[in-house]
Amino acid sequence: MSRDRGDTPDPEPDAELLAAYVDGVAELSPEERHRIEARLARDPGARAEAAAVRGLLDQLRSLPPEGNEPDWAAMASALRDAAAAGSPRPWWRRWQWLVPTSTFATAALVLIATWSRPEAVTAPRPSVDRGHDPRPSDDVMTLWLGGTEVEVSASGALGVLGEVEPASPEADAEPDEVALLPSTDLAWVDTLDDAALDRAERWLAGSR
Amino acid sequence: MESLAAGLPVLERPSSVTVADPDRELTERFRDGDRAAFDVLVRRHQKGLWRLVRRYVKSDADAADVTQLAFVRALRGLAAFRGTATVRSWLYRIAINCALSWLRDHRREQPAELDEEALIGDNPAPAELSAGDDRHRLRGAIALLPPKQKLVLELRVFDDLSFREVAELADCSENTAKVNFHYAVKRLRDILGADHEP
Repeated sequence: MSRDRGDTPDPEPDAELLAAYVDGVAELSPEERHRIEARLARDPGARAEAAAVRGLLDQLRSLPPEGNEPDWAAMASALRDAAAAGSPRPWWRRWQWLVPTSTFATAALVLIATWSRPEAVTAPRPSVDRGHDPRPSDDVMTLWLGGTEVEVSASGALGVLGEVEPASPEADAEPDEVALLPSTDLAWVDTLDDAALDRAERWLAGSR
Repeated sequence: MESLAAGLPVLERPSSVTVADPDRELTERFRDGDRAAFDVLVRRHQKGLWRLVRRYVKSDADAADVTQLAFVRALRGLAAFRGTATVRSWLYRIAINCALSWLRDHRREQPAELDEEALIGDNPAPAELSAGDDRHRLRGAIALLPPKQKLVLELRVFDDLSFREVAELADCSENTAKVNFHYAVKRLRDILGADHEP
């Protein structure tokens, strides 16, 4: 038990609970209560002390509060504003962002899937039978020559390269819509022999 | 309650152990997003908190500021409130911390404490004491108590807290709070002298 600053302990242990008994008997254990009541019954000095404690506590409780009270309504209003700005959200609101985010993500996935497989949603385009002609529908193609990527008209290139066979039937199956040969169509370049490449180099040197 | 042999009136207080915390529901409602619950909590405790703070901070306006600060801190911490103490004692703990922090920051602005000589020396006879003098002497005597006894006495007498709540705030056992209360009263009687005996 702490008495703080060395108060002399009362000779009777239960005497230390006398003030607590006077002020709140229900907060003592039944045993403590019975011991103190027995002491009060036999000791007039204890009864006088209990009466003095009671009187002092009454005096203390009759003291008016210090200072002048503030405007309680104004304080409550200011704190209401603070609460409105900072009150916690219910747990399920913490996950509310999932609804628009997942909706957007789903929509984005559908669009990506659609664009990556246009044939799945667009009508089949009429195929153009060009035989073994490797040229795309327009006359521009890209070649990798001498370490440089160059665009040449297909007719001009063929004029230089002579007759070439496409590397595969798929090479001309689908015209390229961006006016450049798709990378899969360039395989036929590998089939060129040295003489054809030399002619192409000379043609390029002359056309620059 | 059974009356004593001496016929002393004894205060009946509801046991804090068996009484449910009336503020617990408000904290749960607030955590569920009910902002009005905090408003109720403020209205219920702002007066008590201000009186507590005002005993430390000797200015009405500053005490109001510190009280608001205590509520704002409580607001921030309410979501993490675990309920090991009552909401009231938790709020009072925050208010005491805010008041002590304010005192540290404004130490030089506080009025000097009364000394014991001024209270027990050259006292006028009881009949000469006006009500104002009496109150002044009582307050001065309380100010002379050791810190823990003063805290326990004030929380019990002025804030009407149970010994359990007092113990939570004084960071001691409930029994130690009761013993400190006893010695606080005893010392007050010593300081005030026989003149003050009822």
